[in-house]
This record gives sequence, structure tokens and C-alpha cells, in this order.
Amino acid sequence: MLLEIRELSSCINDKVIVNKVNLSVDRGEIHVIMGPNGSGKSTLLSTIMGLPHIRVCNGRILFDGLDITDKPSYERAKLGIALAHQYPPEIKGVKFSDIAKAIISKYGCGDCSLMARILRVDELLDRDLFVGFSGGEKKRSELYLVMLQSPKLALLDEPDSGVDVESIEYIANAIEYLRSRGTAVILVTHTGMITNKLSRINRIHIMINGTIKYNGYPDEVLPVIMKFGYSRGLEVLNRTFKGGI
Amino acid sequence: MDRESIEKALSKPALYGPDIDLSKYRLDEPSMGELNEKELESIDNVLDKLGFQKTPLSYVQIDESARYRIMEKFLSKYGAKIMPLRKALDEIDLAKKISWKIIKPDTDKYTASTYLHGGEIGYFIYVPPHTRIPIPIYTCLAIIGEKKIQFAHNVVYVDEGGEAHLVTGCAVPHGVREGIHIGISEFYVARNARLTYTMIHAWAEGLHVRPRTGVYVEESGEYVSYYVVYSPIASLQTYPKVYLSKNSRAYLASITAASGSGIYDLGAKTILGENNSSSEIISRVVARDNSQVYARADIEAHSSNTRGHIECLGLLLSDNAIVSSIPIITSKKPGALLSHEAAIGMIAEKELVYLMSKGFTEEEARAILIRGFMNVEAPSIPKNIRAEINRILDLVSKYAVG
Ligand SMILES: Nc1ncnc2c1ncn2[C@@H]1O[C@H](COP(=O)(O)OP(=O)(O)OP(=O)(O)O)[C@@H](O)[C@H]1O
Ligand SMILES: [Mg+2]
Repeated sequence: MLLEIRELSSCINDKVIVNKVNLSVDRGEIHVIMGPNGSGKSTLLSTIMGLPHIRVCNGRILFDGLDITDKPSYERAKLGIALAHQYPPEIKGVKFSDIAKAIISKYGCGDCSLMARILRVDELLDRDLFVGFSGGEKKRSELYLVMLQSPKLALLDEPDSGVDVESIEYIANAIEYLRSRGTAVILVTHTGMITNKLSRINRIHIMINGTIKYNGYPDEVLPVIMKFGYSRGLEVLNRTFKGGI
Repeated sequence: MDRESIEKALSKPALYGPDIDLSKYRLDEPSMGELNEKELESIDNVLDKLGFQKTPLSYVQIDESARYRIMEKFLSKYGAKIMPLRKALDEIDLAKKISWKIIKPDTDKYTASTYLHGGEIGYFIYVPPHTRIPIPIYTCLAIIGEKKIQFAHNVVYVDEGGEAHLVTGCAVPHGVREGIHIGISEFYVARNARLTYTMIHAWAEGLHVRPRTGVYVEESGEYVSYYVVYSPIASLQTYPKVYLSKNSRAYLASITAASGSGIYDLGAKTILGENNSSSEIISRVVARDNSQVYARADIEAHSSNTRGHIECLGLLLSDNAIVSSIPIITSKKPGALLSHEAAIGMIAEKELVYLMSKGFTEEEARAILIRGFMNVEAPSIPKNIRAEINRILDLVSKYAVG
């Protein structure tokens, strides 16, 4: 197993946000996490990445057989975990291309120009990182930086939010490309747009109030959630599939 | 100006900065000549420290000796002249006519002692009308002796429609502990001419530095200055002043990476003297350790339809450092548009966290952000100098992190 999360709880300012989550992800798999606003999806990804404002208050995170629960984020990045932030910060004075170059020199990416083409970021590279980028441009650029890391595990936090139809296509292509290289993906999303475009999703997890309340296959879960929303949808799912696994 | 009033000025402190007792320093007999082996070595060391590539230098000054022949021939191809000012004062009428005209010798004790004891060592550069010097003119002033005083008096005249890019590095090689550098610079930018001046300072903990710079820009001329100081220092105080005629403009950027317990008092003043002149004063300050930085800027509009803007951004990296921004804008005519903005803060936590999640260590992430903070895009700076500056800023951001 590439990633194994056991009974993981994480706290922000001593408040429990992620509550006893179990999750296993293997190489080349795509897992989707869905759930209402504020349910803790981003916090879960941030906990896996090891962002400093989050404290693990219970459980362990194993990556590639290694317990990384106490490692700082830059070490996790070096081990092969990459996070596409939901809201990457605008960094004035720092060129997108400079950061791209710095990442490439760390990770030695062999097919970067291809990735730039997949995600159509060429024209943005000369600008300050994310400064004045449109919503969709930010998403594509952030995903590009994740791809440059050639990660074993990509944590993608709503890469499709606020993105136009064509760009969703680019982003789906990028995710497929990651998978073709054996990267595992955890994808947080609110819409079925991106999930419909991906050829195979291993699992969909429904997160509510910091807990994964349900997980199942896309064909069973998506239509129900899209139709009924989360709370009714869960009732329906539990009735129909007896709680999934 | 009568000698008596200049002698009186020998005891006149500068308006800003700690007052220095010049009698504590040794002054060599000012001289001119060729570089010797030992000096060459020191210069190599200094160039390394400045981050310069082994560039062909046009003028080198070591302590009080002017060494200049190195690129004279190259410049003479363009009809341009470069020589020690002392020589120019003997041979060239223009030099005599304009020397000490922008900066008055009795301004303070530093100008007065340069006038009286400096022996007019420093460089004189003349660029003929409608001549563009395509490559940067590099000059280097170094103090290699201990407890020395270095005077430099530089005069530059870019004639009508001419263009020149001056890069001056001032430094001490590793090991020099104490000294004082006093540099008087007078620049004339004639009609439609353009001068860019890039200065990089890399001194040491016990060095005091007192540059005095005055610039006169004639109609439709342009002056761009780009000043970088990144070493520790005892004290540095400077307040260049630029006078702008009709349709002319000035852009002055300074980047200070302060460290140690140095006092960095850096200003810039522009006088929008005539119609449609404009200026921008930009500064970036990064302060760590116990350093104190005073970033002064002053724009004075004497004519309507002028524009001036001051921008000062500071980054405080330690509890014991101080950054103070002191902008002044003064309008003496309606229709002048003047503004200033200043902000002092620290490295944005969000940005730091973001970069660390991309695999950069905290130190690497800080260096990237500081490097970004120092990025100001000076207009009109040619590509090759821009590349030089970029290399230097890479170095500076590493110093700034400590
Ligand atoms: N830095 C923080 N300080 C305080 N509370 C926080 C912080 N970050 C997250 N929270 C809280 O944690 C909860 C979960 O937030 P999180 O961002 O993980 O939700 P999400 O599921 O990603 O929501 P969305 O779909 O809106 O992105 C929210 O109630 C949020 O307000
Ligand atoms: Mg979120």
C-alpha cells in the first residue's frame, strides 16, 4: 500500500477537524473525496501534506511503509507527496518560471514541456506566481507545479473548481497522464464534471463533519449524491447498499 | 567658492548618519598608475565578492590610487573618454568647467575633505553627442589597506543624445576591518541623453561609507539609478539628489539587505524642476540582526504637470532590527501629482508554508521570497546589466537570510 491512514484525527487550534479517518491508497489509483463545504476535505489533504498549522491529534500516516506523521512538509514532498492547494497564494516578485525551474532542479523532471502543453501554461510562465491569474489559470498552474514534482501521490484539492469546460478537459488529461506514470491521486471535487472525464476511479469517499461516512464505486455513489445531495443521498445509499465498505 | 568657507566645513557634520572623526583614518598620497600583481589579486577577490564576472574594468581605484588604462582604448573607439578626474582637470576644459558645480564642496565635512585632501582621484567619463556605448562601463573602487580613508570624486558627462550604462562596484576584500569611503559623484545628462548607473556595495563590518551624489538632467534626458548594498557595514549615509528639467525623468531604485549592527541611512531626492518632468523612487529593505535602516525619499515639485511617486517596502527579519521609512512629498505648484506608499512587514507565513509544501526547506523558501521581494524592474536597464543584477540579487537574498 502506498498510503495508509489509520484512525487519523487532526486539530486546528485544538479543535478536531478531521475525525478518525481511515484511508488506503495504492499506486496508480484514483480516489475521490466529496463532501459539503467545511466538512474537512482540505484539512485532510493538508494533514497528509503536513502543513504546519495542523496538528495530528490521533492516528498515524504511513507512506511507502514509512511513518511520516511527524515529518515536516518539505520532507514529505521529497518522499513523493505533492499537494495542489485549493487556494495557492499570490507571490509578488517571484516568477512562475523561476519556481518551476527550482522545482525541476529538485526533482529532475524529464517531460516538463509536455506537461506545460497539456495544461496550457506557457504564456503564464513569465508572470509573477499566481498574481492576477484568473481562477482557471491558477488551477492549471498549480496542477502544473504538482506535475513537475513527479509525485508518487498527488493530492488535488478542487483542481476543477471555477474552471471552464475546456480547461476541465486539460486538467482531466493531466490527471490521466499522472496515473499513466503510476502516480496515485486523491482528488477533492464538488462536481461530477471532472469525475465523468476520468477513465477509472477506484473509490469515492463521502466526508461529512470530518469523518468519512461512506465509500463506494463511482457508478453507485455519484448519481445518488448528485440527485439527492449529501444528507439525503447518504440515507439512500445506506439503505440501498447497506453502508458500502 | 572661497577656501576659507570650505575649510570651515571640515568640521561640519552631515545632516544624517553618525558623525565620523576623519582624523582617525590614514590618507595615502593620491596617485595614478598601473595595477601591480598584488593589487590584481585583491581586485579579483573584490570582484568575487561583488558577484561581478571577471569583467573588463574601465577604471579601478585602490585606496587613493587610480588605475585606469584597462579599457580606455575600447571606449576611445566611440570617442568616449575615461580617465582619472585629476588628469581630466588638467587636459579637458569641460571637466574643469563642471567639476564641483552640482555638489558644493562646503556641503559637509565629507565633501570638504574630499575637495581639500582628495587629490581629485576618481573617474571622469565623457560620452560624445549621439553616441551610444553598447556595453556597460565597469568601474571598481576598493579599499585594501587597514584604517584607510578613500576619497573618490567622479564626474560623468553624457552629451546630447548620448547613452551610457555605468556599473560601479565598491568593496573591500575579505579581511579588511576598518576604513572609510567617501565618494563624490556628479553626473550630467544632457538633452535627450540617457545614463543608467548601477552601484553595488559590498563593504565590511567596520567600514563607514559616505557617498555624495548629484545629478543634473537636461531636457528630455533620462537618469536611472539602481543601488544595491548587501554587506554588513559600520554606517552608510547617502542622499543623492537629482534635478530634472523639462520632459526629463528619473527612476531611482535601491535595494538594501542590512545585517550586523550597521546603520544604513539611504535616501533619494528628486526635484521636478520643469514642466512634464517625472520621477520614481523605489526602495526595498530587508533588515536582520541589529541593523538599523532609514529609508528616506523626497520629491519636490516646482512645476505643474509633473509626476512623482515614492514606494518603500521593508521586510523585518529580526526582533532587534529597525526599519524606518521617511517619505516626503512637496508640491509648490498646482497640477503636480505626487504620491507615496510605504509598507513594512514580515515574510508572509502563507507563502512560506506554500513553498515548503513544494519541497523547499524553510531556508530555501525564505530565500526565494526575499529574492522575490527585492525584484524591482528598473526600466531602461539593458539586458546584460539586468542579468548581472539578477545574479547579484541571488547572492544578496542568500546574505539576507543569513
Ligand atoms: N486555519 C484554520 N483556522 C480555523 N479553522 C479552520 C482553519 N482551516 C480550516 N478550518 C475549519 O475547518 C473546517 C474544515 O475546513 P476545510 O477547509 O477542511 O473544509 P473543506 O471540506 O475543504 O471545505 P470546502 O469544500 O469549502 O473547501 C471548517 O469549519 C473550517 O472553518
Ligand atoms: Mg476545501
